Amino acid sequence: MDHFSRKHHNPHAHVIHKPGSRLMHSVPLKFVWSKVMGHGARSANTSLNLTSYIDFLMVTVIFLLMSFSASGEIGVDKSVKLPKAENVEDVIDAPMIAVNGNQILVDGQLAGSTRAIEELGRLQKLDELFSMMKNKRELWKQLQPNRPFPGVCILQVDENVPALVVKSVFQTAAFAGYPNVSFMVGKISKSGG
Amino acid sequence: MSGVDVGGESKKRSTNTEINMIPFIDLLMVTVAFLLITAVWVTNSRINADAQVPGPPNPTVELQPVPPEKVLNLHIGENEFGLVWKQGATVVSEIKVPKTQVETEQADRKIIRFPELAKKLEEEWKQQKNHWDPSDRKLDQCILHSDNRTPFKEIVAVLDALYTTKRDMKFNDGSVKQIPVFNMTFSVR
Repeated sequence: MDHFSRKHHNPHAHVIHKPGSRLMHSVPLKFVWSKVMGHGARSANTSLNLTSYIDFLMVTVIFLLMSFSASGEIGVDKSVKLPKAENVEDVIDAPMIAVNGNQILVDGQLAGSTRAIEELGRLQKLDELFSMMKNKRELWKQLQPNRPFPGVCILQVDENVPALVVKSVFQTAAFAGYPNVSFMVGKISKSGG
Repeated sequence: MSGVDVGGESKKRSTNTEINMIPFIDLLMVTVAFLLITAVWVTNSRINADAQVPGPPNPTVELQPVPPEKVLNLHIGENEFGLVWKQGATVVSEIKVPKTQVETEQADRKIIRFPELAKKLEEEWKQQKNHWDPSDRKLDQCILHSDNRTPFKEIVAVLDALYTTKRDMKFNDGSVKQIPVFNMTFSVR
């Protein structure tokens, strides 16, 4: 407020001014000055209202907790494009057989070729896949001798693979002691996707 | 903003105190960071099937001859679906459903669905059903007949239509869940 005490403003008197608000300083009216300075009640330290920030964090935490999955991400072979469906069930822990355009993989290990099945043109038992699945079953039984074997395996089949290959893999898995075969699919919402 | 007001130099302690929110915000931030890092954004699911393999024989239980049940045979044709209910070798009923597919696009990929087939399957099950009581743990069987060249996405679309119809099933813990009425297997020639 010392601006009003000075009658004549000397522009050469001082170039460095005291820090503070500059807005509407040129208006030589006391009530304007008073308004600009916040009626003399404004503090240099202002506190931020954290309520909205905490609310936002809480909503984010709740959303992430709701969508949290303890079982982790299930690896899908990058070359496999899964088809999508509405009426599905949750994925369970079971051996994975991936079938893409060329290969059949059991938990990432090569177990056969789809080309060979297509070229033969008829349903067949895939020996390599059979022995791998059988070994898996025997290992499971050795590790858990007191529990009944569930016989579940999951097929990750590319959407363009012909039914002949699917049926051959399905049948081989059943022969190897995995009659409960599930197909992995992408989930689409009931509203239509 | 934060900090506990101890009342300054006055002798009386102020009745209003501010709780220090900084540790709380830190905790929330750490939780958010952990959940974001461990989040699984790709949700995959499964469609169930059964190879209908008989289990190992139990010598302690005497086998009783069971009369054959009605089984739905679903034929995927070029232009239509055939829904044939068979009891043993006897054909109980047979209908044809035109193959009208609904295509929806999601992330540059076409998704095929057969809503008309789903509707017909529900009507058929209501007429021919073998297992419908919630205490009945068995499911009606469906045998899928398809050409060897049929793409897998079409088979999944048919399975999706097959599993649209659901019924209540009571479990050992007393809970009742909605379960698809059919159990599917492939026909093998």
